[in-house]
Amino acid sequence: MNALINSLIYGIVILLIVFTIVAYLTWIERKFAGRMQSRIGPYYVGRPHGWLQPLADVLKLILKEEITPKNVDKLIYNIAPFVVLIASLLLFAVLPFSEKIIISNSSIGVLIFLAISSLIIIGGFMAGWASNSKYPLISAIRGGAQIVSYEIPLLFSIIVPCIIAGSLNPIEIVKAQKIWFILYPVIGQISFLIFLISGLAEENRTPFDIPEAESELVAGFTVEYSSMKFAMFYAGEYAHLLALSGLGTILFLGGWKGAFLPGSLWFAIKSIILFLILLWIRWSYLRVRIDQLLKFSWKFLFPISVLNILLAGLIVILK
Amino acid sequence: MEINRVESNGFEELWVNMGPQHPASHGVFRMQIKVDGEVIKEVIPHIGYLHRGVEKLGEFLTPVQFLPVLDRNDYLSSVSNEFPFALAIEKLANINVPERAEYLRVIAAELMRISSHLVFFGTFCLDMGGALGGGSTIFLYAFREREKILDIFEKWTGSRMHLNLITFGGVRYDIYPGFDKDLKDFLKDFENKIKEYEDMIENNPVFLARTKKVGILPKEIAMEYGCSGPVLRGSGVKFDLRKAKPYSVYNKFEFEIPSFPDGDVYSRYKVRILEMKESIKILRQAIEGIPSGPINSLMPVKVKTSIKLKEGEVYEAVESPRGENGVYIVSDGRFGLYRVKLRTPTFYNLSVIPYLLKGALIADVVAILGSLDPVFGDVDR
Amino acid sequence: MVKALYITLKNLFRKPVTVMYPDKKREIPNRMRSPLFALTKDEDGVIKCIACKLCENICPSNVIKVIPSKEKNEKGRPYPEEYELNLSACLACEYCVQVCPNDAIVMIRIFGWATKNKEDLILRKEKLLENYEKYKDLISECTGEFLRKMQTPRR
Repeated sequence: MNALINSLIYGIVILLIVFTIVAYLTWIERKFAGRMQSRIGPYYVGRPHGWLQPLADVLKLILKEEITPKNVDKLIYNIAPFVVLIASLLLFAVLPFSEKIIISNSSIGVLIFLAISSLIIIGGFMAGWASNSKYPLISAIRGGAQIVSYEIPLLFSIIVPCIIAGSLNPIEIVKAQKIWFILYPVIGQISFLIFLISGLAEENRTPFDIPEAESELVAGFTVEYSSMKFAMFYAGEYAHLLALSGLGTILFLGGWKGAFLPGSLWFAIKSIILFLILLWIRWSYLRVRIDQLLKFSWKFLFPISVLNILLAGLIVILK
Repeated sequence: MEINRVESNGFEELWVNMGPQHPASHGVFRMQIKVDGEVIKEVIPHIGYLHRGVEKLGEFLTPVQFLPVLDRNDYLSSVSNEFPFALAIEKLANINVPERAEYLRVIAAELMRISSHLVFFGTFCLDMGGALGGGSTIFLYAFREREKILDIFEKWTGSRMHLNLITFGGVRYDIYPGFDKDLKDFLKDFENKIKEYEDMIENNPVFLARTKKVGILPKEIAMEYGCSGPVLRGSGVKFDLRKAKPYSVYNKFEFEIPSFPDGDVYSRYKVRILEMKESIKILRQAIEGIPSGPINSLMPVKVKTSIKLKEGEVYEAVESPRGENGVYIVSDGRFGLYRVKLRTPTFYNLSVIPYLLKGALIADVVAILGSLDPVFGDVDR
Repeated sequence: MVKALYITLKNLFRKPVTVMYPDKKREIPNRMRSPLFALTKDEDGVIKCIACKLCENICPSNVIKVIPSKEKNEKGRPYPEEYELNLSACLACEYCVQVCPNDAIVMIRIFGWATKNKEDLILRKEKLLENYEKYKDLISECTGEFLRKMQTPRR
């Protein structure tokens, strides 16, 4: 009973914190992207730096008119945004913010993370199907193909730290890192790179954002949504990105370990740095074509990740 | 927003309409595409959304009044529209142009060439990258450089895009004190930046995979359809009007003509980047050697009938950033003109689209259309 | 491949080139041609225009209409009874400024003269004279005299 109330309180507090951070991640993105393009980002709302911009955006999205097309499949159309948002927020239940703070301490935390993150695209596919129009359908099909192809390299690159640490529990993995896992001789760097690329592809971010922002399919599978439901897709995407950065710091960058400051603060700083790196890649590269995307995954990433696992197994045996 | 209307026709073939409003817009252009899966079978283009009747206006406006109207034809490089008209009338009426005016005309033309190719560069990467993402970064960098050129034009003539600089017998505005310092600073900065942007894009395997071996235009087809400019030079034909039939003072400058034999989207892109570097060379030579003297050989314009032409016909052409821009005039001895025909480059360049798009994928349409660099003021006049 | 990342990082630390418009304005060059006009007056406050109709003759878009008066004003010159200039069709080509024999019409270097209804874009004589009073120090460097002097072939 005590543990239940503990988890509940942690859950509500972390939910509120995550919502605020997700809203401010959009502000960070716009400022960061603006500076890279030689311009100032948001400026007017909350002079001189525009820090009240997320509040203005949320207000605008709430007050917009809800337009529902006539021939949609009503049940699935209404449920799809909720699936995306809830699945993205559930990911935070298995990430440890420090040695003591974790909502649900289970021994297969990493596996649960991967399972829930595959549910997100099901929400996207439901949205594309229920919209009853050709262009969301094409984008949902392409999105499905892309995510299925990139699940496997993501899985294989996440397994390598688990093999070396010997457990699937995120707390154990952090404790087993004497030096940060990214500094291990060869397997550390390769795993991190594959994790980064597959994470970007799972996330539908440029250079892999074919379902979303193409110049023919204007907004992808969210094209028939307006107002608060669109905001839920949008917030779900940023929450997924933040959770992915969180997993990246736990597996590769040492989690909460660090001098002077408390553990959860180190976790937050490292996650935000990884998030900024993903943002930096988004604003510098052009977009790939769909057949080149699938070729890249199956012919290039898949063999390299398999070789990576064999190498990691060899190192564990030899030690 | 894009207007799409899809009709099913037969087993697997759909007619898709890429309507007059594109998100990756180069102007107003409509294409009806027959698609089988992802492969394109047939294309029917429709033009004429920007037709303003410029050739008819040439019949009742006098030549002096017609010059500012011609500026708005190819709105990204306005000097190359007035230039052939002024050359044609000067040939018919036997007017000499002083040498300082020729140098100033060449400087304006080459600066306009750099500015127009920068717009091509920015929008080409914007199409391929997406409005939120890497494409828009390069777009904003290219326009940042273009702003400096437009500032130079504003200090010189007063207007940023439609210069109205050339008149019969010379130019209308002389350079301001401090012009060569501004131009030299800009050229030095621009050379470094061009190198940076080239490195940024060309070492990217994504870009190379999307542009090499895509949209191949063989040499014979390009010559048969009447293409000119970078489209022709990207297919292996080394033809440039500045060297083949030199007009104005181009025979005093040393420069080269880039051309590549492949004929795909990458060669057309590379030709334009190298042309920008050649323009920098020409500008450096021109700014060193400007002679002093008057800028016009006729008295300034007072009434609209100040030029009287004898009977005859003449054709003069100029190398604009898009190809061969020519004007054909028939005059019958009164104060106006009997017929003005404008030979615009984009009209002929765009006619290879049904040939190029057959057999391509849908995702290539945007890259191919961007590499031809269409400006629809030119097509529809 | 990573060159692109390096260049974006370099630009992250440069100063942005934005000029925040209503708070700071950029400097306007001397010869700027934005289509706002004014009719000038001489030192005694009498209008300089002599209603010779040269500007109406040369305009490519026919935006100027001049109606001369039947008697002369106090300085012995004819003056325009009615002068109308339709800004919505003006090309800003500066031909009317170039041909005016005594610099009566000039262009003003300002942008930000947009109006809310279409009738305000048709400038009458009183509005043009009022523009001269308001924007006396923003007159462009290119008056008729300047342009003609620049273009005349000198001996």
